[in-house]
Amino acid sequence: MNETTQPQVFEMIAKSAKVDVATIKPESTLKDLGIASLDAIELIFDIEEHFNINFPEQQGANFDTDTAQSLVTAVQQALDAKAANGAEDK
Amino acid sequence: MSSPSIRRVVVTGMGAVSALGIGAEALWDGLREGHSGIRALRHKDADRLRVKIAAQVPETFDPAATIDERMLPLLDRTSEFALCSAHEAIAQSGLDFKRGTLGARTAVIVGTGVGGETTQDEQSRRLYAENAPRTHPLTIVRLMTNASASQISIAYGLRGPTFAVASACASANHAIIQAAQTIRYGMADVAITGGTEACLTYGALRAWEAMRILSDDTCRPFSANRHGLVLGEGAGIFVLELLEHAQARGAVILAELAGSGMTADATDIVSPSADGAATAMTQALADAGLATTDVDYINAHGTGTPANDVTETHAIHLAFGDQARHLVVSSTKSMHGHALGASGALELVAVIGALRDGVVPPTANLDVPDPACDLDYVANVARQLPVRAALSNSFAFGGLNAVLALKRAP
Repeated sequence: MNETTQPQVFEMIAKSAKVDVATIKPESTLKDLGIASLDAIELIFDIEEHFNINFPEQQGANFDTDTAQSLVTAVQQALDAKAANGAEDK
Repeated sequence: MSSPSIRRVVVTGMGAVSALGIGAEALWDGLREGHSGIRALRHKDADRLRVKIAAQVPETFDPAATIDERMLPLLDRTSEFALCSAHEAIAQSGLDFKRGTLGARTAVIVGTGVGGETTQDEQSRRLYAENAPRTHPLTIVRLMTNASASQISIAYGLRGPTFAVASACASANHAIIQAAQTIRYGMADVAITGGTEACLTYGALRAWEAMRILSDDTCRPFSANRHGLVLGEGAGIFVLELLEHAQARGAVILAELAGSGMTADATDIVSPSADGAATAMTQALADAGLATTDVDYINAHGTGTPANDVTETHAIHLAFGDQARHLVVSSTKSMHGHALGASGALELVAVIGALRDGVVPPTANLDVPDPACDLDYVANVARQLPVRAALSNSFAFGGLNAVLALKRAP
């Protein structure tokens, strides 16, 4: 796991939730943080743009129950897949 | 809106273009047989897109088969669908607008979510991707949202109230309600109405992908394994007519458009509210003079998204109480896809078919019952059932609800 991934994702979650990044815990769900469905879609978009990755199509179907850590894991998986495939953004 | 109810409104013609084929009959036959129009996406940029499936009008669709070739250069795909459907509906009605003053007493009110999206996309590509110095000179007349209504008006010399109605996925139902009101209030004796949509462009598909509500396999309304909607396209156009006008000329009446209800949730731009939907259904019943026990069938909005199907089920419970368990509900979007601004029109073909034939079309792909969706959804196989009256639900992004109440022909 790239050690810079988590701080970057947490920072983006904190910005979306308009809270201090120190309040984000790995087990916090987006719902707990008050990130409603449309905000969550925007957050996913911001993360994809930031890391130049694509989450799988069904990723994000459970915004309410997604935790901060699950997003970090998903980012890392997408980064790993990109490194393995040399896949370009599409 | 009960005061002008003395002027009753009936349907005397219908036409459609959909993923299930060309014509209202092809659509109805496909729906009652449980056929799906959902296929691999046919698009020149398909290999670049994440979305892999759609409910598209078949490639065999040939606008030149019904539309004068001099008109074709003026038309976006949206208007081609609408005009072909209007030709079919008007032919079925038997109305001749060249005679007398009927054209002056006929309204044209057509719903569309976004209008000429194909034109918009093509011309934007020219400008921004190819650095073309100019757009096609007919860009504006093709893409304007009212183009479909105007082209129908021009083709038949229809000179009554004519305009477009836009309310995203409820556009067709809002347009049909507006057309019925126009007849009820004496502003017209006939109205050509319905919805049309053709927005499966690269740009629009990318925009839908980004919302993350598209299904990757098929459309499974009310099924526990549903995970999104499947985009469609098409048009449904109807001839609405004052009951006495239709009776006086001995017209075949397909159904009575007995009432309607319209509300706004006023809560969230995308998340639906059960209260708003339930109130629209209750209004439609009252307007049509129907008791909950009179309704045998509800054609659901039923998009196949996790949020809609649970909320709509709850709304039906709120509106119908105990009676919710004595009627049947189905989502035909499982077969014709979500044709957005045309959806309510395609679904009205299904409702009229159910009223006339005593067959309720199924909800296809309902394999896994969802405890949160606890009504009778006519899973997978059509059902023989006499339908005395029916509702047709459309609920749009923006929190806009429009419900039609239909009765059998008087």
